[in-house]
Amino acid sequence: MAQCVQSVQEFIQDSFVPMVAVLCSEDAERVTRKNNLSFPELLRPFCRLTSEGHLRDPNNQVVVVKGLRISVTGINTRPPQSPELHRLLSRTVSVCQPPEGSPANVFTAGDYDLNISDRTVKASVPWYSDWKETLTQLSSSKYYTATTPWFETYRENFLQSMPASEHEFLNHYLACMLVVSSCEAVPTEQFLKLSQEQHRIQHSGEYTHPKWFIPNTLKYYVLLHDISEGDEQRADSVYEDMKQRYGTQGCYLLKINSRSGSTGADEQMPDPWSQYLHKTSIHNPVSATTSLQTHPLQLDHLTDAGYPGNDASQSVNNVDEMRPQKQASGTSHTSPTPRGTCLTLNDHDHIRQFIQEFTFRGLLPHIEKNIRQLNDQLVSRKGLSRSLFSATKKLFGGGKVPEKSIAELKNTAGLLYPSEAPELQIRKMADLCFLVQHYELAYNCYHTAKKDFLSDQAMLYAAGALEMAAVAAFLQSGAPRPYPAHYMDTAIQTYREVCKNMLLAERCCILSAEILKSQAKYSDAATLLIKMTSEDSDLRSALLLEQAAHCFINMRTPMVRKFAFHMILAGHRFSKAGQKRHALRCYCQALQVYKGKGWTLAEDHINFTIGRQSFTLRQPENAVAAFRHILINDSKQSAIQQAAFLREYLYVYKSMSQLAGDGSLPQLPLPCLHSSQTRVFFGHERRLAEGEKQAATHVSLEQEFDRDLSQLWRELEEQVVSVANRGTVPITFQPSQCCLNSQTDNLRHPLAIVEEPIIVEVVFRNPLKVPLALSALCLLWKFTLKDFSGPEDGTTRETFDLNPFQTTALNDIIDTQVIPEFTISPEETKVARLRLLPHKTGELHVLGVVYNLGTGEVGDSEGMWLVCVAGSLAEDLMCVRGQQNLEIQGPRLNMTKEEKTSVRYGPDHRLDPIITPPMPLLEVFFINFPTGLLCGEIRKAWVEFVNVSAVPLTGLRVASTHPEFFTFGSATSDLTPVTPTAAEHCSAYKTVAMPPSVATMSLVSPAVFGVTSGDQPVVAEIPLSRGVLGPGEALQIPLWLRGPDREGVHEINFLFYYESTEKTAKLSHRVLRHTAFICASRSLSVRATASRSNTLHSRERDTEEQQEAEEKNASMLVFVDVENINTSEAGVREFHIVQVSSSSRQWRLHKCINPVGDKDSKLTSRERGKLCFKATRCRTEEGGIVSCTTPCADFFFRRGLQMQRKSHTPQSGTDDDWTSIVKKCSEVELDIIVLWKAYVVEDNKQLILEGQLHVALQTIGKESCSLSQKEETQEMVLLKFKPDVPPPLSKPSMEQLSHLIKTCLHYPESYDHPFPQKSLCMVPVTLTLSNCSLAQVDVIVDLRHKTTSPESLEVHGSFSWLGQTQYKLQLQAQEVYRLFLKACFFQAGVYNLGTPRVFAKLAQTSAMCETSQQSAMPALIIVNSI
Amino acid sequence: MAVCIAVIAKENYPLYIRSVPTQGELKFHYTVHTSLDVVEEKISGVGKALADQRELYLGLLYPTEDYKVYGYVTNSKVKFVIVVDSSNTSLRDNEIRSMFRKLHNSFTDVMCNPFYNPGDPIQSKTDLMKWQPLNGL
Repeated sequence: MAQCVQSVQEFIQDSFVPMVAVLCSEDAERVTRKNNLSFPELLRPFCRLTSEGHLRDPNNQVVVVKGLRISVTGINTRPPQSPELHRLLSRTVSVCQPPEGSPANVFTAGDYDLNISDRTVKASVPWYSDWKETLTQLSSSKYYTATTPWFETYRENFLQSMPASEHEFLNHYLACMLVVSSCEAVPTEQFLKLSQEQHRIQHSGEYTHPKWFIPNTLKYYVLLHDISEGDEQRADSVYEDMKQRYGTQGCYLLKINSRSGSTGADEQMPDPWSQYLHKTSIHNPVSATTSLQTHPLQLDHLTDAGYPGNDASQSVNNVDEMRPQKQASGTSHTSPTPRGTCLTLNDHDHIRQFIQEFTFRGLLPHIEKNIRQLNDQLVSRKGLSRSLFSATKKLFGGGKVPEKSIAELKNTAGLLYPSEAPELQIRKMADLCFLVQHYELAYNCYHTAKKDFLSDQAMLYAAGALEMAAVAAFLQSGAPRPYPAHYMDTAIQTYREVCKNMLLAERCCILSAEILKSQAKYSDAATLLIKMTSEDSDLRSALLLEQAAHCFINMRTPMVRKFAFHMILAGHRFSKAGQKRHALRCYCQALQVYKGKGWTLAEDHINFTIGRQSFTLRQPENAVAAFRHILINDSKQSAIQQAAFLREYLYVYKSMSQLAGDGSLPQLPLPCLHSSQTRVFFGHERRLAEGEKQAATHVSLEQEFDRDLSQLWRELEEQVVSVANRGTVPITFQPSQCCLNSQTDNLRHPLAIVEEPIIVEVVFRNPLKVPLALSALCLLWKFTLKDFSGPEDGTTRETFDLNPFQTTALNDIIDTQVIPEFTISPEETKVARLRLLPHKTGELHVLGVVYNLGTGEVGDSEGMWLVCVAGSLAEDLMCVRGQQNLEIQGPRLNMTKEEKTSVRYGPDHRLDPIITPPMPLLEVFFINFPTGLLCGEIRKAWVEFVNVSAVPLTGLRVASTHPEFFTFGSATSDLTPVTPTAAEHCSAYKTVAMPPSVATMSLVSPAVFGVTSGDQPVVAEIPLSRGVLGPGEALQIPLWLRGPDREGVHEINFLFYYESTEKTAKLSHRVLRHTAFICASRSLSVRATASRSNTLHSRERDTEEQQEAEEKNASMLVFVDVENINTSEAGVREFHIVQVSSSSRQWRLHKCINPVGDKDSKLTSRERGKLCFKATRCRTEEGGIVSCTTPCADFFFRRGLQMQRKSHTPQSGTDDDWTSIVKKCSEVELDIIVLWKAYVVEDNKQLILEGQLHVALQTIGKESCSLSQKEETQEMVLLKFKPDVPPPLSKPSMEQLSHLIKTCLHYPESYDHPFPQKSLCMVPVTLTLSNCSLAQVDVIVDLRHKTTSPESLEVHGSFSWLGQTQYKLQLQAQEVYRLFLKACFFQAGVYNLGTPRVFAKLAQTSAMCETSQQSAMPALIIVNSI
Repeated sequence: MAVCIAVIAKENYPLYIRSVPTQGELKFHYTVHTSLDVVEEKISGVGKALADQRELYLGLLYPTEDYKVYGYVTNSKVKFVIVVDSSNTSLRDNEIRSMFRKLHNSFTDVMCNPFYNPGDPIQSKTDLMKWQPLNGL
């Protein structure tokens, strides 16, 4: 802290001190000049008395005078006149700055820093309540005082320079020192001369200025003796002479200058003068005040920008000049004019002693004498005058009162009493008492004087008396009465309004505020101070407002916001008064309150002002930071305002960057950069469609990132990689990522390929309501050259840094794309795609973006507050170059405990790609690729593979999510048309002429079609000639597509995989993605059922019995229901079933048993047809397919793979179980392929579409459909928390068991028997039992009639089986056994022979089951009687 | 007629400020912000004496040269401030009181809006704007 704070009492005492004039002879002046001081200056540091003085008041009471200070001034120093006073005061204020001087660090701090003058309070908690506590703590702490040294200096200077007024005597001279040098020829003569001079000044009336307290001023004769020069003896003798003449109490011999100035230059001497003199020592006639006529609450244009030659900037310079001077004066030994060099410490003591002597022997007795005199006068006059005056008033007052209008009041305000007026005598006595600290008497006198003045309507005098009465009342030590604040208020009001004397009002206000503050009446003090602000003096208003602000914060509940607001007002007034540093400090302090509280308008205003002030004070960094604040936050300002902010920011920024001038560019705040949303894309931008050709979609920046999709691609890639690596995925496998964003895995450095572009998409947001224009936008990067072709992983050779100023300089290493113009509309979020094309291998680091920032407006410079220097263009001014870094934070880590408890982020290497040697680059085009297909429709398209790189590629494979959707035609097949155009109207199927009834059979194994059970079904290898696709080569291959079985839109993903011919360590393979969308519409629904035929009489009964048995056993009927379920009746006219084929290991379709004669069965919309086929068991175990050429078989087998995958798993568990044996009886493995043609009308043209549908028959009697229903039922699955109880080992159901044994009764349908001849009719019946299963079966045949129901007896009545009626048999696998039975009838009739019950059980098990199937069926026999 | 109405959150940041002379917006912001000191003073003064019978209306906070500032505090310590032109002498205390009550009701409606996130600045054009004290009662 620069200065010790006085207590209020001290302050007031020091404000009113006895004034002593000095009249110096020339020689005496010369003696003191040796010390570079005048005589008053010489005395000044010693003017405070350290010991107590005493005097007696009129009542002979001893008054103790403590700590008295006297003021010694030259007789002809006149207080500065008004303009000069202003200058002086403003200079003292501007010189006095807060100690460490950089208020900037206050608002740049991230947390909450409240810096009130010199103490920094750090309160990191943002909310006010906590902050308030901190403040309360502060204000209650005894160490805390918000010191404002500039205000104290101002106050001191102001009070000292108060001109002497008529109505009071406090700053009138009480005494005069006459100083004569001892080396004078005749000192007494000189004394006489000086004495006469003094008398002339006081009494001649020529001089208005020095005012004198009392007519007979105390004259004190001082003989100044220069020890180093003069004759001491002589001086002594002269002094003796003086004592004779003036008495011992009226003269003094002061001996100084004990040493000559030159000798003791090196000696360290205290310099008591420095703190008294420096303020006035500077006489620099520069006007420090510039009035900036702006309202505090408006942001409009200031007319200066700190250009030299401007007033404001001069004042800035001024401040800068003064600072060193101030420092110099602080350490006066280094100053060019050392003071007091001829004085030793002894001399100092001499001076001190002299002052003491003067005061106690000369001044105080003089005052005491005068007080007595005045008192006597007053007492003698009192009785008379009081009564007389009041009597006269009473006598004449009646007439006078009404006349005292306002006009008269004004007159009386200027009323002057003659200097000897009795009223003034009271005042004079009061002042005298006041000066010698006899406050009680002083108060009484003031009080009396006040009454007199008021009754005379002498307002100025009354106000003075009121003011002093209040002060005296305050200063009374015992405090017998409370401080009369209303006296002060009246006084101030009177001074201001009646007397129009602002200086006096101000003094009064300062005193009163100080007193109120000392009594903790901060609120009153603040009101008083605020009232005192006015338009006529900005400096005063500013200082008082600041004090008021401090009052608010010192209140018991600190009023922080009022503090802040008044600080702003003060700051504004300071800036108007040209006190830029103080203005800046005020705003900074206010900002602490407003910052981050949502009061954006106010915050912006403060920041703006801070920015501007900082700029004019040559603190461009702070200015930039402040302006930055306005622009970054979501500003609620109007567009015009924002534009103004932006322009100003750009200007400040530009001037700052000119100052800095070196290589690194500063960061720009605008537009906002969303670093984390940055996307990086490696590879060329592709054109998607080119006429008929449709390029593979691959990955592009337009696509949104989809986590599921990327997972899907990753799986596909894993599969294809594992196929390429013979079934294993390498440990180092890393899915290819072409487009990196915030959601991709960015832990590794991505790989980019030389000569292939890297596109960085940067997201800019313009938070402002004005457009922003960026120009010359490009990426900023760092590149380390490395050679990966060597045996080592890479050898660092050189590092390049893109110079932000010359972006094209390094284009031979990395081609940097520069976007010349990039405008962002107001409040727009826009992406910029910036391209880099590396030409060398190495490591690249994208650091950020560099651009020129300008306003979006074109050449509009009218509204600018800046004054353009001649010749400089507006565009030039409005555009600055800067950069913004792209710093991407990785995802938050959450693996270990440590990471969970702290906030840590992983790395993100999105922007640090490694440039690898060249790799092949594949482009895939699809020709005639359809968008819509009927379910099961077969369509042909072409696919073209082009190697667009300079490196050959190999190992081309494709993986897909829907492998059943497509197949590649073999290039060798004769069905394959040579060119895509020729294929358009060509059927997919080859028609083979053959007799209609004869089914063709050809044997094809699935392996032919590249589908073996162990193979990965999703991956297909694409045959290349010689296995390599050379640079620039293209390959066209037909592609068969089959419409998906289910209707709807299908997304089909292809992943093309390829490798380079030479293995490089960095990148093993590359992939190309394609996503196709196929809309499938309904075509036919095929349902098939197989049923066992029960016929015994097969037509092809062969001679060989065994053969016959097998035929009987193994024939089956297949019913195929075909329904047209196509809904678009307009489009598809009709479907034709062209062919039905089968594929099975054991069965083959034998023959169509349809009654319909025509070959093609037509189905128009909503029609349904049924086909019936007979299937027989093939002898060969080899599977067969009828339509064996591509693509039919291809699609069939691809489909089959899907089915296998689905159905294989449940079977494997129960293989050896007997249930499976039971099941197997009813199992068929028969696939039916239905080929169809559809006649479609499209654009008045008839098209024939072809297709195929597959149905897999699995169980006899169970219907299966071409559309698999499985997926529908799986939509909603209950969430289970407990694992299911495994289902109990299922016993084969009765029905299943009943299929174990097939029974058949052979008998004649009708039997003629002559009953009359022979009453008993015997009919032979053969019961054929055939074992359907592959296991041994025990069979019990019971011929007895059921006894349980009597009715059945009636029905079956009258026949009986003869011979053995119960058999126990054992049938081997597939064995057929015949039982020859005899039925015996007694009469003619119709009989049901189906009574035998057959019980079958597997040989190993105990459970016996009845095969109920046959017995349920009536077997009727007609027995006729002849 | 009010010239400015403001809704201030419990933590003393503005939720809603609207003033009629839009060019003097900044001035009103300052005025309202500064008035919070008085509001707080009044709350703390009331808090001790009359904890039970809570009067939400705080009355005239302070007069400035041109305006009169009135305050109102809800039970959840949300502050309402209404600035009235000083020249308008026709407004009685009761009318100010009813203005505050209406404002309070509107504010309650805003808080009832399920799409309003408490603590956010009130953006909705329909909620508080529905009642326009600025355009006359």
